Amino acid sequence: MAVEQADTGAAVQQYIMHHVTDSHEWSLPFVRLELPGPLTNHAIMLFMGGLILVALFGLFYRRGALVPHGLSNLLEVFVLFIRDQIAIPSLGDADGRKLTPLFCSFFFFILCFNLMGLFPAFSSATGDISVTAALAVVTLGFMIFGGIYKNGLLGFIKCFLPHGVPVPLLFLLGPIEFIGLIVRSAALAIRLFANMLAGHIVIFALLGLVVMFGWVALPAVILTIGIYFLEMFICFLQAYIFTLLSAIFMGQLYHPEH
Amino acid sequence: MGSITAGLAALGAGLVTIGAGIGIGRLAASAMEGIARQPEATPKIQVNMLIAAALIEGIALFAAVICFMAK
Repeated sequence: MAVEQADTGAAVQQYIMHHVTDSHEWSLPFVRLELPGPLTNHAIMLFMGGLILVALFGLFYRRGALVPHGLSNLLEVFVLFIRDQIAIPSLGDADGRKLTPLFCSFFFFILCFNLMGLFPAFSSATGDISVTAALAVVTLGFMIFGGIYKNGLLGFIKCFLPHGVPVPLLFLLGPIEFIGLIVRSAALAIRLFANMLAGHIVIFALLGLVVMFGWVALPAVILTIGIYFLEMFICFLQAYIFTLLSAIFMGQLYHPEH
Repeated sequence: MGSITAGLAALGAGLVTIGAGIGIGRLAASAMEGIARQPEATPKIQVNMLIAAALIEGIALFAAVICFMAK
């Protein structure tokens, strides 16, 4: 009995790892599609999510109506929240309004792909370090090139040298601050990736308990439902946190307060 | 999964959870105290609490990822 539990334990672990990592096949309810060439599971998710977002904002949003109803109203609530609570407080009025489309792109992209991971046949593309690293590189690019564009190259370098510090120490502090910039962007990527990955692994592992121990582990299903709701909340929260931290970091470099 | 490295990785993940739990617990305690003292500041306190919790959880998940890779 212990041996066969250990066996199913290893099989369950393999099942979990196979389902949360990227692979060349897509398991739909009754069929398992083999994906050709460079396409992988997460790539298909990216295409589908992109289509969903473009359809949502392009087709389903009524641009001409003076008073928004229904879905248009919901989208406008989110966009106004991003503009008034995230972009303008961190970047000031002019820059905030100009950069709101970027933050809307971040927020809806991350939200859409996080939520897609909670559907039965899909997986979340943000559970892949490549996708989140790409988003963090976009933020890093905006920080570096935007900072150089706004403050000039010399002003950008002066952001990393704090005031009132003796000159020999500046040679140590400057590179440390610059490395801090890169580490903060990497932290953005890893935070989002690890949250999504860990959430899915926890859900799979709890259901794997039922596979291993039989009907005795049925309360685990109730716990799984609870964690599923927590996952939904974390999807929204992580999208908000990524967007907010991007805005704060960019604001620190565009308008250095020293 | 019967190697020492995997066991130590799991132990490390458990220690990380202790740290994150203590940190976020203290954060929640002071947020509750702030809300109790001044209920009309609740939205601001909640927003800042969520931001700080996400940052602390980010550190915890760093270490979780390293524990995954270590096994």
